[in-house]
Amino acid sequence: MMPTFSALPPSVVVLSLGTMVLMLAITIKRSEIIDAVLTLLTLLVALAVLPMGAAPSALFAVDDWHRFSSALIILSSIGVLAMSWRDPTVREAHAPDEFYLLLLMSALGAVLMTAGRNDITFFIGLETLSLSLLGLIGYRQHRIEAGEAAMKYVVLSGVSSAILVFGFALSYAETGSLVFAAPHALHPVEPLLAAMATVLVMTGMFFKLSAVPFHTWLADVLEGTSIPVAALLSVVSKIGLFAAMLRYFAGFDLMTPGSVSDEVTAVALLSMIGGNLLAIGQTDLKRMLAGSSIAHIGYLMVALLAPGAFGLGSAGFYLAAYAAATIGAFAIMEAVSPNHTHLNSLQGLFRTRPALALGMAVMMASLAGIPPAVGFFAKVYVAVAGVSAHRDLLLAGLIVGSVMGLFYYLRVVRVMLMPATDEVSTGRIAAPGNAVLISALALVTLVLGVYPSLLIPRNPIHLGADVEAATLPVSTQTAIR
Amino acid sequence: MSVDFSVGLYGLIAIAATAMVITRARPVHALLYMVVALLALACLFDSLGAPFAAMLDVIVYAGAIMVLFVFVVMMINLGQPDETRERSWITPSNWFGPSVLAALLLTTLIFALGHGDAATGPNITEVGPTAVGMSLFGPYMLTVELASFLLLAGLVSAFHIGRALGEKR
Repeated sequence: MMPTFSALPPSVVVLSLGTMVLMLAITIKRSEIIDAVLTLLTLLVALAVLPMGAAPSALFAVDDWHRFSSALIILSSIGVLAMSWRDPTVREAHAPDEFYLLLLMSALGAVLMTAGRNDITFFIGLETLSLSLLGLIGYRQHRIEAGEAAMKYVVLSGVSSAILVFGFALSYAETGSLVFAAPHALHPVEPLLAAMATVLVMTGMFFKLSAVPFHTWLADVLEGTSIPVAALLSVVSKIGLFAAMLRYFAGFDLMTPGSVSDEVTAVALLSMIGGNLLAIGQTDLKRMLAGSSIAHIGYLMVALLAPGAFGLGSAGFYLAAYAAATIGAFAIMEAVSPNHTHLNSLQGLFRTRPALALGMAVMMASLAGIPPAVGFFAKVYVAVAGVSAHRDLLLAGLIVGSVMGLFYYLRVVRVMLMPATDEVSTGRIAAPGNAVLISALALVTLVLGVYPSLLIPRNPIHLGADVEAATLPVSTQTAIR
Repeated sequence: MSVDFSVGLYGLIAIAATAMVITRARPVHALLYMVVALLALACLFDSLGAPFAAMLDVIVYAGAIMVLFVFVVMMINLGQPDETRERSWITPSNWFGPSVLAALLLTTLIFALGHGDAATGPNITEVGPTAVGMSLFGPYMLTVELASFLLLAGLVSAFHIGRALGEKR
């Protein structure tokens, strides 16, 4: 049976082994330093083995897209790890050890999702991620708001998983295969059933991605959790899901009008406008970033709806820019005040702690898409993809949404420029890990903004050309039926 | 009167019972209907040629998980005058509905079994435990291994959240 294991993506093997080693270490001795070092080592090794290949398999697709999105996921997890090290809100729980364990497992789930070529592989990855996130959201069990957030997350996550599985069941009934692809790509006999399956699967994914109109849970959940978990939720899980979504639609022609592309277009437009509208009214930074994250999912869907040379590349670039800026913003909030995330907590930051304020300004510029930061180029790239696919309506939405976004991103900068209030404490120094993280992310955001070609793959990434090859051998198919 | 008829009846019973589950105000009454709904689902699985899934449904869901639910509901809010309260929950009008549905289900099942094996319809091949095991530990072996991490994540999360608050540090 040993040859079977060589089909696993190498990073999945490393992350699984790391989880087991970490569990063993926790049973021997509970020590936060050992946990953090083991988690960091596992993530670094997982990153290092990404270029390695794997035996061909019907369950996993170890291709360039998997490598790229997994690298983003693992780097983001390292960022969250740096943020949560010495974080007082994590340490106030019963024991901080399981936090690292759940962090590793959520990375494992997200990486698995990006490699999922079979409905079952994808679903196991998704649920591993969701269940780890549930534990992380409710980690501070003695806090009433953490319980509320965990409850909201688990109910909505359960509902969306049920919708997703129902879609998979319809897709299996139609095509007789569990290949993770829109059933249209497999030449269905009954197009209506196939369209229903696709719409259900997408609705489940939109719930998890918190695209409008399935977004209501995100702001409440982010508000109730600690800052590192909020960063994990709005970056790692979204990268994993979006990467999987692109794979799902790889063999599907989204350019032809129909129920499926109409739904994606409508959700993209609603997310771009709705997310920004939600963020404008917020005075809490976490809720504001929740709205911003919803809007960015909408921008990303423009790339999804623009297949061709630009679509995949712009989606990857946008994901990287979004991840860097969002994690950076959360890390600065963590450094300023871990417990108090009202907009007022940033007041006068340019006078009291200019370095942090400058970092925050860079992150906000990147999220808003203002030139020296990488977010500008990411938005241009997505817009070019949209133009090349003649998505005029979506481009209008992108522009309106970006203008609305400017208002609240620049409001953060304005608050930081205001005179400092007396109650602002200046004594707290950022934890070393967090300081390194913030400066690294600010540097990345600026350098990639000036030299964006560093992140653009030289050869276009191909995805899903081998949908037929992903089907299991016929004999096993009939055995399952 | 054919296999189709009994399949339709199972489906109707499942829908009716589920509708009752989500409209009951008291959890205990909802759980009684939920057991019936799961049994109807098991009958449906069996008539579609999946006896193994049907047995799992009866043993795991209708059996173990439902008993656990009923147990938890009964254990919660201890300390009040329980006996009188519980007696008021289980009045004849409350167990009548689930019993009727269950009896209907049993009649249909006996009828269907009497009229030949349900799993011999035109497009139905029976999938027994062997076939399920062969695919789980054949092509899907790696997903079975990875599912253990899914269970681990659930276990760690549940254990951490469920840990008594008094145990802090």
